[in-house]
Amino acid sequence: MTVTANILETVKLSKAYPGVQALDAIDFDLKYGEVQALVGQNGAGKSTFIEIIAGSLRPDSGQIIIEGRSYPSLEPSKSIELGIQTVHQENQLVNELTVAENIYLYNLPQTGIGLVNYASCVAATERLLGELGVEIPPGRKLKKLTFIEKKLVSIAKAFSRKAKLLILDEPTASLDEHGRNILFDIIRRNTKKGLCVIYISHNLGEIFEICDRVTVFKDGRKISTHGVKEIDMSTVVREMIGRSTASLYSKEAGAAPGVEKETLEVVDYSREGVVDHVSFTVRKGEIFGIGGLVGAGRTELARMIFGLDRKDSGRLVYNGEEITAQDPCDAIQKGIGYLTEDRKENGLMLGRPIFENISIARLAKSRRVMMSLGRERSETGGISKQLNIKTPTISQRVINLSGGNQQKVVLAKWLYAGSEVLIFDEPTVGIDVGAKGEIYRMMENLALQGKIIIMISSDNPELVAVCDRVAVMRGGRLVAVLEGAEITEEKILRYSMGVGDKE
Amino acid sequence: METKISVVEGKRRRSVSQSLVLVMLIVLLAAVATAVNPRFLKVTNIINIFQQIAVLGIVASGVGMLLVAGEIDISVGTQVSLMGVILAMIIQKVLGLPQGNVAAWRVTFAIPMAVIFTFIVGFILGLINGIIVIKSRAASFIITLGFMLVYKGTALITSGGASYMLFGKFETLGRGKVLNYIPISIIFLLGVIVVAHVVLKYFRYGRFLYAIGGNKKAAYVSGINTGRVTVTAYIAVGLLNALAALILISRVGSALATTGDSYALDALASVIVGGVAITGGKGNALSIFLGVVLIGLIGNALVIMNVNPYMRDVVIGFIIIAAVTISTLSGERE
Repeated sequence: MTVTANILETVKLSKAYPGVQALDAIDFDLKYGEVQALVGQNGAGKSTFIEIIAGSLRPDSGQIIIEGRSYPSLEPSKSIELGIQTVHQENQLVNELTVAENIYLYNLPQTGIGLVNYASCVAATERLLGELGVEIPPGRKLKKLTFIEKKLVSIAKAFSRKAKLLILDEPTASLDEHGRNILFDIIRRNTKKGLCVIYISHNLGEIFEICDRVTVFKDGRKISTHGVKEIDMSTVVREMIGRSTASLYSKEAGAAPGVEKETLEVVDYSREGVVDHVSFTVRKGEIFGIGGLVGAGRTELARMIFGLDRKDSGRLVYNGEEITAQDPCDAIQKGIGYLTEDRKENGLMLGRPIFENISIARLAKSRRVMMSLGRERSETGGISKQLNIKTPTISQRVINLSGGNQQKVVLAKWLYAGSEVLIFDEPTVGIDVGAKGEIYRMMENLALQGKIIIMISSDNPELVAVCDRVAVMRGGRLVAVLEGAEITEEKILRYSMGVGDKE
Repeated sequence: METKISVVEGKRRRSVSQSLVLVMLIVLLAAVATAVNPRFLKVTNIINIFQQIAVLGIVASGVGMLLVAGEIDISVGTQVSLMGVILAMIIQKVLGLPQGNVAAWRVTFAIPMAVIFTFIVGFILGLINGIIVIKSRAASFIITLGFMLVYKGTALITSGGASYMLFGKFETLGRGKVLNYIPISIIFLLGVIVVAHVVLKYFRYGRFLYAIGGNKKAAYVSGINTGRVTVTAYIAVGLLNALAALILISRVGSALATTGDSYALDALASVIVGGVAITGGKGNALSIFLGVVLIGLIGNALVIMNVNPYMRDVVIGFIIIAAVTISTLSGERE
C-alpha cells in the first residue's frame, strides 16, 4: 500500500439487513486534519456506516483502509487501538463517579499494590483537560456537571485514548450557543494538530461553520462529497431529500394572523432562582417562540405552566378565563398540551402501540370506566393519517418509528385530547430535515385553526423561520420580545447572551 | 416502508408465539406425565390440579396486574398467611371451638364476620403497601420486602406459633362443589381471571396500568394520576389476597402463621413465566393464567410421575431463568 493523504478510506463498503440495503457500495475518504460532515435523513445509513468504522458492525463486503492498511472488518477493540473514538449523542458516562474516574475508567492507574492511584488519575485528567482548554475540576462527581460539561468530558475521554479519528454523533443536540462555541474551538485547535473528525449533524449551519467537506448519504448510497466552500445549504438539502429548502422553511404566503382578540396571557410566572417573574401574551393564530441559551429557564417555565413543577407565583388566563394548572391532569382538563423536550423520557411509552400513545391523554381526561376500543382505533387512526404518521399500522410500537414520526405521535396525543394551548419544547431536536418541515407546517396550520402555539427552541434559524414573535429569555428573565423584521438570528443570539442590548 | 412492514409482522409472530410456547410447554408436560402415569389425564386429576392452583391463580392475577404497571409486591405470601391466621382465629374464637356451645347469633354471624374482616384487612394491607411505595419513591421490591417481614412477624405474634383448627367449619369455599362436580374455588379462579382480563383490556384503568408500566413519567405528563392508580392496584392485590386466604384456609381447614408464605415467589414466577415484563408495560391476563397453569402443573406432574417432589423448585427455578433469558434476549434484538 502506498502512503496516502487519507487516514480513512472505504472501498465499496456494503451492509444489508433483511429487506433493506443499509449501505450500498460506499466509497469514502477522510483526509488528515479534516472535519468531514456526514449528513442524510434518518435511515440514510449514517449510523450503520459509523458503527462499521467503530467496529461494532461487520460489513457484508468492501474494505476499510486505515492509514494505508486494509481491513475487511473491525472489532471495537481494534478500532480503539487504531485511534478511532466515537462520542455518542447520549453520554455513556457514570454519574456517580468523578470526572477523572470517568475519563480513565477503561484503564485506571494503579499503585504498586494494585489499588487505584487517584492522585495520578487526577493529575492526568488535569493535564488532558488543560490541553483541550476545558476547565472542569477533575474531582467533581459527574452528576454535578452541566450538560455541556458532560459532553466535554465524553470528548476528553475520547482524547485520553489517543484518538486520531473522532466520530461525533450529533454533538450539539441540546447544546446552547455557548457550549457549541467551546466544542468548535476544541475541534479547530485539535484538527490543526492532525485530528480527523467525522461530524454527524442535522444542523447545516453548524456544518458550514466547522466542517471542511460534507458528504451526503441517501437510502444507503453516497450521493456526493463537496467542499463546504463550493456548495450552499440548499444544494445539500436538495441532495438529502430531493426538494428545495424553500418549500421547507418559508411560511405560507398570506397566512399572517388576523388581529384576534382571543389571547393567552402568561402572568408573572416565578420560582426562586429558576424563573424570574415572566409575563407575556400570546395571540391566537400566531406562533410564539421562546429563544435563549440552555439553562435560561425556558423548559422550567413550560413545566410550571403545565403544572409539572412547583411555582412561587403565576397565573394563566385564556380569553379572560383563568386556566392556571395545578398538575398535568388539571392542565389537560383546561386544554393545555405540552410536547416535552425529551420525547423518549417524558413523552412516549415506547414499548406500547401508536394508538395507545395517542389516546392516553384523552383517556386520562375522560371520566368513563370502560373504553370504546373500536372508536379509539378509528379515531386515532384518523388523526394518525391526518398528521401523516408513516407506519403500516397504528398497532406498531412507537419504538419502531423514526424521530419525526414519534414527535407526530406526541402531537397527535395532545390534539386528540382537545388541547387549545400547545407548548412545543425543542420540537425538532434529532429529527431529519424532511420531517422538520412537516412539523413546522403542522404548527402553522394549528395556529391558523386558532390554537395557541408556543415554541421553545435553541435552534435560532428555526425560530426566525417559523415564529411570528420571539421572546428571548436569559438567566430566568424574559429580556425581549422580537417582532416582524426584528426577528433575526443575530438579535436572538445577542439577547440570549446579553451582548450589546441597545435599549 | 416495506422493511418496516416486515419488521412488524416479525414482531407480531413472536408475541403470538409467547402464549403458544406456554401452551406447548403445558401440553408437553401433560403428555410426558400421561405417558409415565395415565392417571394424570383423568378428569378427577385435572379438576384436582385446578383446585390446587386456584389460590395461586388468584394471588398471581393481582401480582400480574401490578407488574403490568411496573410495580412488584413480594409481601403477598405473608399477607395471605396473616389474613389466614386472623380469619381462622376469628372463626375459632367466635364459635368457641372446639366445643362450639355458644349462642345462636354467634353461629349465624361468625363466618360472615370473619370474611368481611378478612377483606377489610386485605384492603388495609394493600393501602399501606401502596401508599408507602409511592410516597417513599423507593423500589417497590425493597419496600414490600420490608412489609413481607413485617406481615410474617405479625402473623407469628398473632398466632403465637399455634395452629388454628376449624374443625370442619367453613369448608364450603375450599372444598365445596357446584352440582357435586366442579369445585367452587375453580369458579372463583376463573371469575378472577375473567375480571382481570376485562379490566386490563377494556377498562380505562387497565390502560393506565400499561401506560404507567410503559413509561411512568410520560403517563404522568399525559395527565394520569400515577400515584392513585398505583395505590389502587396495591389495594386490588390486597383484596385478592384476602380472597385467596379465604379459599386456602377453607381448603386446608386450619391456619398456621406460614400457610401462605410460598405464594409470593410462586405468584411472581407464574407472572414472569406468563410473559409479563419485569419492567412493566407488557402482559395479559390469559398469559398470566397459562403461567399459573404451568407452574401448578409441574408440582402435580412430578408427584404423579413419582419423581422426588422436591424437584419441583429446581424445575420451576430453571423455567423462570429460561423465560426471562429468552424474553430479554428477544427484546434486545429489537
